[in-house]
Amino acid sequence: MSAPGVQPDIAVTGIGLVTSAGIGVQASWEGVCAGVSTARRDPNLAGLPVDISCTVPGFDPVRHVGRRSRLVHDRFVQLAVTAAREAVADAGLDPHTWDGARVGVVIGCGVGGTATSEAQLRSSLRDGPRAVSALLIPMMVPNMVAGHLGIELRATGPNLVTATACASGATAIGTAMQLLTDASCDVVVAGGAEAAVTPLIVTGFAQMGALSANTGDPAAASRPFDAGRDGFVIAEGSGILILERAADARARQARVRATIAGFGASADAYHMTTPDPDGKGARQALLAALARAGVGPDEVDHVNAHGTSTPLNDAAEGRMLRAVLGDRAAVTSTKGVVGHALGAAGAIEAAFTVLALQTGTIPPTANLQALDPGIDLDVVAKEPRHWPIEVAVSNSFGFGGQNAVLVLTRA
Amino acid sequence: MADLTYEDLVSILVEKFAVQPELIRPGITFGDLEIDSLFLVELLLVVEREVQAAIPDDAISAQDTLERAVDIVREQVTAAGTR
Repeated sequence: MSAPGVQPDIAVTGIGLVTSAGIGVQASWEGVCAGVSTARRDPNLAGLPVDISCTVPGFDPVRHVGRRSRLVHDRFVQLAVTAAREAVADAGLDPHTWDGARVGVVIGCGVGGTATSEAQLRSSLRDGPRAVSALLIPMMVPNMVAGHLGIELRATGPNLVTATACASGATAIGTAMQLLTDASCDVVVAGGAEAAVTPLIVTGFAQMGALSANTGDPAAASRPFDAGRDGFVIAEGSGILILERAADARARQARVRATIAGFGASADAYHMTTPDPDGKGARQALLAALARAGVGPDEVDHVNAHGTSTPLNDAAEGRMLRAVLGDRAAVTSTKGVVGHALGAAGAIEAAFTVLALQTGTIPPTANLQALDPGIDLDVVAKEPRHWPIEVAVSNSFGFGGQNAVLVLTRA
Repeated sequence: MADLTYEDLVSILVEKFAVQPELIRPGITFGDLEIDSLFLVELLLVVEREVQAAIPDDAISAQDTLERAVDIVREQVTAAGTR
């Protein structure tokens, strides 16, 4: 929808997902459309004040990634490799035949290999420095997820990780758009990966008061936009999108799932963790994304909200969306089902938004029983809504006041 | 201090380094088993814990065979015992 000759539209030609709803796009999409939360009591968090999470069921690194994966990959990399393979195959591309120099990798990650770090710290405290693995550093640094995907996919173009906390995945997709727009790349493997459901990180979020304390009923804990919400449920996962200029995708007769038409980024410059109560930064990012897409606020049919289920985020985001878009768009938060996968969330939700555009289906917001009276939006609840969507928005906001908004359109 | 037998080395390679057992024989090199220099450093850290003696990081290279590595470790353990 962008003006011809100005900036190219960016096509999504492949997606891959690994979420708490399942391994693969089909399982994840069916799960999120079923609208039932995947949060469960987590044995790895036993004894902690918050002991619930949304983890990927049945993930086996040897089966899903490879024989040596446990030795060299932290879990966030394992999830990303799995999602990336699915996405590349979905795009009908083959790393053995593509020009790897023209393929970039941009992955969002908020935390990195914290499971490895925590295990190695325990070893070193117990047995001294000689107990520290030589593989600690290459396993825990967050940039390694893009490095490993470069190796896996023979992609030698620009290769980087974006860190904007819970907006990282959306920032990665926006950055990928720019690499395609300025012709630095012909294909970008873009997305997010996170596996930070560890005792230390969960305790840290709990100490901030960011997590739902509804541990007695895990499946009811993540309830975006509901009056009874009290925090988010931490999750892990990966979402990967294959992006190409739309003209290139058409030229190779690729199936285009959707178009990424706009990206806007901003900073609240307000407080390190509290969102600006007026949503000024988020509004600025949304307006920038709409402007880049060349669509008006009254044309937006669907919003995949950041919708974390924290009292502050959902209130500020709800007010901002109502003020900018009015009440026309059908809003959902897929975090009700899959929880909050931090640096992966924006990419997972972008993939869900692609599927919503493609299928004309908006997944319901799990556990939304009584809409917060302060939120005057059409939030989809209980059942998926079948609804023709031409223009959709996916919001992502990070601690640090970092905002990233994508505008996607039907192919 | 303890000795490292060939069988000990094989079980470390299989269990900790995911080497396929059918590839393993005394005359194969670490390089042929895709144990590169970084993995070798990690392998030596594991071996050190087994034999409870310090082994220099450069004691074994990727070109060494498994049987040669067992000999090198034995020499290191003996040297450590006589120091």
